Amino acid sequence: MISRWKRAARGVAFVLSAVALAAPATADEGSRGRELYGFCRQCHMDNGAGNPLYLAPNIAGLPEWYVARQLDKFHSGIRGTNFDDVAGMRMRPVGIWLEKESDRKAVAAYVASLPIVEPAPTLVGGDPERGKALYAPCSACHGPDAKGMEALGAPALDHQDDWYLLTQLEHFKSGIRGSKPQDVQGAQMRPMAMLLADEQAMKDVIAYIMTLGGAPKTAKE
Amino acid sequence: MIERFLPVASTYAGDIDFVFDLIFWTVGFWFLLAQGVFFWLLVRFRKRDGVRAQYVTGELKSEKRFITIPHALVLVCDVFIVFFAIRVWYDVKQHLPEAQQTVRVVAQQWAWSFVQPGPDGRLDTADDIKTVDELHVQVGTTYHFQLVSRDVVHSFSVPVFRLKQDVIPGRVITGWFEPTRTGTFDIQCAEICGIGHGYMPGRIVIETAEQHAAWMASHSNREIAAASGPAAGGR
Repeated sequence: MISRWKRAARGVAFVLSAVALAAPATADEGSRGRELYGFCRQCHMDNGAGNPLYLAPNIAGLPEWYVARQLDKFHSGIRGTNFDDVAGMRMRPVGIWLEKESDRKAVAAYVASLPIVEPAPTLVGGDPERGKALYAPCSACHGPDAKGMEALGAPALDHQDDWYLLTQLEHFKSGIRGSKPQDVQGAQMRPMAMLLADEQAMKDVIAYIMTLGGAPKTAKE
Repeated sequence: MIERFLPVASTYAGDIDFVFDLIFWTVGFWFLLAQGVFFWLLVRFRKRDGVRAQYVTGELKSEKRFITIPHALVLVCDVFIVFFAIRVWYDVKQHLPEAQQTVRVVAQQWAWSFVQPGPDGRLDTADDIKTVDELHVQVGTTYHFQLVSRDVVHSFSVPVFRLKQDVIPGRVITGWFEPTRTGTFDIQCAEICGIGHGYMPGRIVIETAEQHAAWMASHSNREIAAASGPAAGGR
């Protein structure tokens, strides 16, 4: 009687082990990234277009290396641990949750695979003509067409939300972002943001960046 | 009893444990007694040949007493528990001892951040020390905390203090604690506040006077340096 129960228990254990071992083998990185993106879509939406209500920017089609790097920064606390960075602190749990580097890379690959979504303009009052001149220093790293350069650690800006660009420029300027010693790329951005004297200058340069993507060029007043 | 599993680190944690124990043992006594009587009745009056089952309506005085006497005794126990619970509730929630320090606790989706006075001892001045995830306090000091939320309802929970207080957007809720032992302990959010609720970790670091003074000095210097330069702000 006992041996029969033992045999049955062994059989169940074998089947469970086989299922557990088979699962990772059949799941490629893409499906892993899609599965993990389930957490992200709560704020960044299914298509990665983001939602300003949740302070979540458009991430659809961002370069994989850039998304992976930012996730690493949220994971290690380089981003998302500043008292005044409300949106960053909302991202921090995602960085903590994505404990394995391989998972962060899988999510980054999935985000990069999402089709680009042209953001709707929300800012008013920016002058792209003035912005074009102000953009000159930015083009050294982000490129003349704002497509970004991986070698310089500069992401593409041409399909980014204008409200997010403004927030990040303000954060770089005030030191909310980029003031951690470990944040090498952030430290490079800080002096660049300081070149923009005031909010008007930031809006101007953002208005010019918006002309480089395929988004509608002006926000509704 | 609960202190075997969770350290006691505030002046009122022992009082709350006492109420916990009181409820546990009082309710536990009645639970075991009721279960004991129940099983005794099952065995004592089990099916026997030649004995017919009897339908008891519970209307006779001799039958009613099996309900009324335990009921009265349970009510006495309730009053006993409520008496001690109200006393502890008053001490923890209603009574506000004079503060030696005041800290602001800021809840948001999904992080705890803290503001404490710098060397001037006052909040909302240039030398305030702002931290994220970590609250540093001094053992043996009475603190007032001001709870504020940046977004939704949270709950400030420090298990070793036996402290739990909801944080309501638009309100400043004041409470108090006095740490009694040094160490580093958890701060939790005890109110479901969104998808990142489970990843909202905070730590409270309870230090000796010397350790706390050293921490204050190191952070005050950094903040003042940061405030005086172009890179003002940040942790």
